[in-house]
Amino acid sequence: MTPDPVTGGNERDWPVSTHEATRFILDRLRDSTPLDGAPTDAGRIARQDEPAVLLAPEVIEGDSLAALPVCDPVSARGVSGFAAFLDGSQDVRVVNQANGIPIVWATVSATVRERIDRRLVSWQGRAPLVSRRYYIPFRYVEGMSGELRNDSRVVDTAAVADSSGNFPSPHPAALLEAAVKRVQRDRDDLERELAEAWCSSEDRVLYVDGGIAGSEAVSASRLVVGVVKSHRRIYATGDAFRILVRLEAGYRTSIFKVSSRSRSAVASWYVRIRSAAGRDALFGLIRVEASLTEDIASRADEISCWLIAEGSPLALPDGRWDKMAYGIRNTEEFLRAVS
Amino acid sequence: MTAPLGRVVATERKPNTPHEFHFWTSLESVVGIGTIVRVDGAHAVQGQIPHIYGIVVEGFSYTDLQSPMHDVLGHDGSPANAGFSVTERAEIRLYTAAVLRQIPEEPLQPVPMGEVFLAEEADVAAALRMDGYLREGANTGIPVGVYRAGATDSVVYLDADFLLGPEAAHLNISGMSGLATKTSAVEWLLSSVFAHFPAEKGSIAAVCFNVKGPDLCYLDQPADRLEESDRVLYEKMGVKPEPFQNVRYFAPYTAKGYALNTLRSNEALLHNVTPLTWGLREVLQYAEVLLNKDDIDAKADALIDFITERVVDRRMEKEGPLSRDHTVQSFGDLEAWFRDLLQGMERSNAESWRTHHIATIRKVRNRLSNISTRCAGLVTDTGDVSDLPFGSFEDRSVYVVDVASLEEDAQDLIFARIVSKLREHLERRDLGVKHLIVFVDELNKYAPGDGHDTYVRKMLLDIAERGRYLGLVLFSAQQFRSQVHRRVVGNSGTALYGRMDSDELATPGYSVLSPATRTKLATLEKGQLMVRHPHFTQPIFVRFPRPAVMLGRDGAERYPQATDVTLENALYRSLRGLDPDITMAWVQQHTALYDEEDLVRARNATLLARPANVRAFFQSRLRTIVPPEPVAAQGRPAAKPLRPIPIGDPYGD
Repeated sequence: MTPDPVTGGNERDWPVSTHEATRFILDRLRDSTPLDGAPTDAGRIARQDEPAVLLAPEVIEGDSLAALPVCDPVSARGVSGFAAFLDGSQDVRVVNQANGIPIVWATVSATVRERIDRRLVSWQGRAPLVSRRYYIPFRYVEGMSGELRNDSRVVDTAAVADSSGNFPSPHPAALLEAAVKRVQRDRDDLERELAEAWCSSEDRVLYVDGGIAGSEAVSASRLVVGVVKSHRRIYATGDAFRILVRLEAGYRTSIFKVSSRSRSAVASWYVRIRSAAGRDALFGLIRVEASLTEDIASRADEISCWLIAEGSPLALPDGRWDKMAYGIRNTEEFLRAVS
Repeated sequence: MTAPLGRVVATERKPNTPHEFHFWTSLESVVGIGTIVRVDGAHAVQGQIPHIYGIVVEGFSYTDLQSPMHDVLGHDGSPANAGFSVTERAEIRLYTAAVLRQIPEEPLQPVPMGEVFLAEEADVAAALRMDGYLREGANTGIPVGVYRAGATDSVVYLDADFLLGPEAAHLNISGMSGLATKTSAVEWLLSSVFAHFPAEKGSIAAVCFNVKGPDLCYLDQPADRLEESDRVLYEKMGVKPEPFQNVRYFAPYTAKGYALNTLRSNEALLHNVTPLTWGLREVLQYAEVLLNKDDIDAKADALIDFITERVVDRRMEKEGPLSRDHTVQSFGDLEAWFRDLLQGMERSNAESWRTHHIATIRKVRNRLSNISTRCAGLVTDTGDVSDLPFGSFEDRSVYVVDVASLEEDAQDLIFARIVSKLREHLERRDLGVKHLIVFVDELNKYAPGDGHDTYVRKMLLDIAERGRYLGLVLFSAQQFRSQVHRRVVGNSGTALYGRMDSDELATPGYSVLSPATRTKLATLEKGQLMVRHPHFTQPIFVRFPRPAVMLGRDGAERYPQATDVTLENALYRSLRGLDPDITMAWVQQHTALYDEEDLVRARNATLLARPANVRAFFQSRLRTIVPPEPVAAQGRPAAKPLRPIPIGDPYGD
């Protein structure tokens, strides 16, 4: 018996592929009908409620956002303090429907790839965290057995009402959106678990794909640096925005503070890791998140140099190659292969 | 249990089959082309976990890079910058292996997913099906070399039943010249055969034709250079690193007839060199070898048959055109017979004799008389015969026939007659040994794939196709296998390949090998061979030790060939080999008295007979010459004049 590393359940009688997932639920929900199980664009769905906005930065280095030279983008190559890369992935599929209600099956995984002698391997030989779950709005699906309802690997996506007290609409699109959000949350949980494990056992620096403010322990650690590639929220307005879009390769912006009610405060800055000449304004532009420490200015310079160094080798053919470190692409490919 | 070194992988575009599978390894693995691996299946088939043995025939390496352009962009077009990347791209070592054996053999299924292990010694034996002929009490294994990979050091055995008959037989070796492949491999393999050929299968000997240089001239001399690594290989394969114990050399004389026509003519090595000379009787049977198709039309053929059957060794009485009785036993006798016959026909103006036209008789006379000139040194006018010891061949002996310095005609005649005689004796089971290996190099020349049919080629084809039933086994070698007659190489159950020329590898005969295997063949080191054998479903790469015999070039330096000698020196050297007391003065006494022809004939007869009293025998073979005696001064009356001379005779004293 092989226990699920996340849920502790028995993996042997639990589906591990889309095809198995379709048949599994078909046997247990008599009114359900199988679907082709094509992957869902979870990223697009998740971004639907995230507006593209410009926010005024809370600059903590200097008086206003400025462009600061960090290093020559060519000479910086070859030196990086990142010892490992953390990323997660999700694969969301609608495998069945029960009277129009989507039955979602998702595989969520996360792992840390450690760099040893310039080659990336699983951190300490650990297996990746993989979770395979059904996401079903219980209240809208009739005939669900107790076995399914009580299984921790079956998530009720309509159990919790929003702040207004409303449960998700039975509209299939709304239910799918609710499922995707829940999947995203599960992925964040796995990534956070790994990042916290890193902080508690390592003394080297971890490159995390995405923000780090979701965990108090992680956001306070000097051992973790988050890199945000998407710029739905840009922390620059007015002159600061103009400085940002004109930022040259090898430059970073002044450090500013990012905080919200639900997330921990972190130091953040932008770095242009590749020249955007002839490209769009955000080409090669990443936003970095690191713990707020006294020496954050000098750390920002050092970390920026590392990030520029991580630009080689290229992460092509990934569409986000201008911002993505090769280590993250390798991690994503690894997760795609094993999960 | 050893750790796996790889994992089997299969995709829809690159699936595994019952005869081929793919696996990947770490970048540091010891796997290479020719490595033997074992796959342990994960699931039982009919209650048995399948084990699949394979040999790596192709390798691939690639990264996750989709376009070379991406690498250029990633390093700003500067190769020097590439070394500064903080991370190396993910890279794969993907290998394709050809299946050697599946256990269980039935049902024959595609190779399953599973872990891949480096084959250990027992695995190699199973993979090559050697377990079938290395059984206790029924061991017919002949070590051919050592297979090496990682920590595995495993002896690879050929099955004697398939190397030397009767199941299959013959061995063919291909390889570039000068890379210590062909001759070295044969010398090593003969040592191995002599050491391991099962006693219960009977006796075995080898006849080697030395067709070029001094390659096979020092088989009884120890090697100058034998490194420790070679000795380790000898020990592992159970063969003593020593030269052949029983070797005899045979070579014709030079055209002059003074010395033997061989590179092994140094006085220190002449003790086991025997002259090879044949007379009319020996040659006439193989006249076809020396006469081309234009020579032997049906009429000439009939006359030659007549001469063979009715003239040679028979008394032909004076009758018809013959002016006297003839007993034809040598080329000299034959010439005399022809001369007498033709003169008689011309005298009587006869056009034919016993249905043979005078023109045919003239033609045959011309061609046959010519043979002793064309093959001077081998064929004697006198009929003296010195031959291989047909009928008393000895077990584990090597008989080297040195034809390296001979004209092509003489070489062909020697091949044809010796092999035919060997065959005859093996058919009658009276050769002296039960199995005989015949080694012929330069098969490109003697059994070419194209060109007109020759007697030698027909004979080699005959051995290749039928020899194994007689115990006559052909070990052949050539540089270009593609240029040898297909039936000769096709009938060779076992084939060895040394380093090959790229052009040769591009010929269709090698298309069954993977490109990687061909590349390996083109770059093989000295002492490495690729082996094909009926039990091995795929070619195997092995290492073999340097032969424990003196290399040809070392021997030629240490034992320089005897320079062109005078008649006196030639007689002195050859007779001293039989009787060390013979002096140059004694030889000179005879050379002063006798003709060169008589002396050579007497010397040859003495060498052939090897008598106890060499001087007496030699002298007995010479004509008796009454030496002049000085007039005795006393005791003998002076002769009286018949009549006194008249005084004053003007014609007197």
